[in-house]
Amino acid sequence: MIEQKKEKTLAPEVDFSNAKEMAPYLEEPKAMYVGAPGKHGYLRLGFELDSTGKSILRDLDRRHPLIVQQELYFDEGMPEMPCVYILSSGGPNVDGDRYRQDITVKKDAFAWVSTGAATKLAEMRYNYSGLIQNIVLEDNAYLEFMPEPMIPCRHTRFISDTRLCVAETATVFYSEIFMGGRKYYKEGELFQYDILSVCSHGERPDGTQLFREKFVIDPTVEHPRNLGVMGHFDVFANVLVVTPKDMADVIYDKTNVFIDKKLAAGITRLPNDAGLLYKVLGMEPGPVKKMVRDFCSTVRQVVKGKPVPPEFPWR
Amino acid sequence: MSDNNMVAVMRLLQFTDSAFPVGTFSFSNGLETASFESIVTDASSLEAFARAQAHQAATSDGVAALHAYRAYLKGEYEAIQDIDRYLIMFKMNAEARMMIKRMGKKLAELGVRLFDAPLISQWLKDIKEDKVPGTYPVAQGLIFAAAGIGEKELFCSHQYGVVNMVLGAALRCVKVSHYDTQLILEKIANEVSDLYDKVAQMDLKDMNAFYPELDILASLHEKGNMRMFMN
Repeated sequence: MIEQKKEKTLAPEVDFSNAKEMAPYLEEPKAMYVGAPGKHGYLRLGFELDSTGKSILRDLDRRHPLIVQQELYFDEGMPEMPCVYILSSGGPNVDGDRYRQDITVKKDAFAWVSTGAATKLAEMRYNYSGLIQNIVLEDNAYLEFMPEPMIPCRHTRFISDTRLCVAETATVFYSEIFMGGRKYYKEGELFQYDILSVCSHGERPDGTQLFREKFVIDPTVEHPRNLGVMGHFDVFANVLVVTPKDMADVIYDKTNVFIDKKLAAGITRLPNDAGLLYKVLGMEPGPVKKMVRDFCSTVRQVVKGKPVPPEFPWR
Repeated sequence: MSDNNMVAVMRLLQFTDSAFPVGTFSFSNGLETASFESIVTDASSLEAFARAQAHQAATSDGVAALHAYRAYLKGEYEAIQDIDRYLIMFKMNAEARMMIKRMGKKLAELGVRLFDAPLISQWLKDIKEDKVPGTYPVAQGLIFAAAGIGEKELFCSHQYGVVNMVLGAALRCVKVSHYDTQLILEKIANEVSDLYDKVAQMDLKDMNAFYPELDILASLHEKGNMRMFMN
């Protein structure tokens, strides 16, 4: 049996000094400083096939507060797939936190990664919380990255930068769900965050740039309730599927788009034939999560010929 | 007003006129679907829709137009190519990519006839050889720079073009009058200088857009069979 590698490296820098939108939020937190132990999280996950052809979590390194559970093989639709939950031992992302997550899926390997619960983005007073992600898929690799929703609180400032480096034959399903806030907290707390800045960009292993999506949501500049933004909807999901064009064509044809009072979904093709972009708007996280999961099932059917089983009833 | 300025104003009017042959009348920017889905039903919802389109365009197309304009004046052709490619990479909606490429090529073709501008000729050649996408905002930047029109005027023309495209389509697919659409144009015009101040400072990597409802409407049009407009 191959031992899991646990090589400790220095947690890489999480640098957002070029992000103009965070310039108002650079004061040093009064409690623990930016970069203090426990506030500079790092996670490195490497999946690959072992000598018997089983996809395993071969490489793992982490710094608190980010931890992962042992990979489990609980997906009944694809029992050969390692499934990993990312957890944060610190609870919510708090003022001045900087996290970095690197996930590599090597040639022909496959994996499923999620979070154990919704990611709460706490109220912030001085600084912001930042996350850099590097997701690398080698030839013919397959990754479903389907975390639970993010919940921004009052005065949350959050920025993320996600790089998807995907080989031409590989497929990544990368989803994010954003709640408008703590909808049922006190009288309701929706869109009271200061800023959410989310950037995801795709490239090939040779460095060819494919697409770049960035949204900066500052309710004082453009309120999410405005027509065309989120309108009356409270929950937003964004799914990037980087996959070969022939797969993307089939997934595109199989996916329904609609807009009604409680739920809406749309799909379009990414620039440079990189794959697909799927968006969902809804009132509650449950139906939005189900839409994302059903879309993932379509993707998995087309790419792997297998469905995503129904969600566990406790999730 | 000096004679030079008078010429610049004439050209500004020429390039901004909805009759300028780049095909703006063929597009509705999702309004056809928004009307069909009863999201835009009257003057006030049309105003909100037009404003969302204007803001969305400002922080993406507007940034590209201003950067292309500045690159032209500095004679930096490679920068123009980069801006063009960068904008297409940022355009998530397939029909929107088609629209800005179609209009961009038409404007470049007009540009080489109107001006003796080697950079525009080179750019059109690269569009035809598929070396650059040939987007409309970049074309606007180049043409305005070649015509000696100012950067703020370029931004106004870009914003006017977006809003007028939506309002022109509205007369054909929403129950509003010419009075309604002119009032909306007048209101949105008041907001243009604040928007310019913000956009003028943005780098390409600062381009951003968060309009998921517009994106979903665009996707409905892309997958549907409504075809009065091309988007």
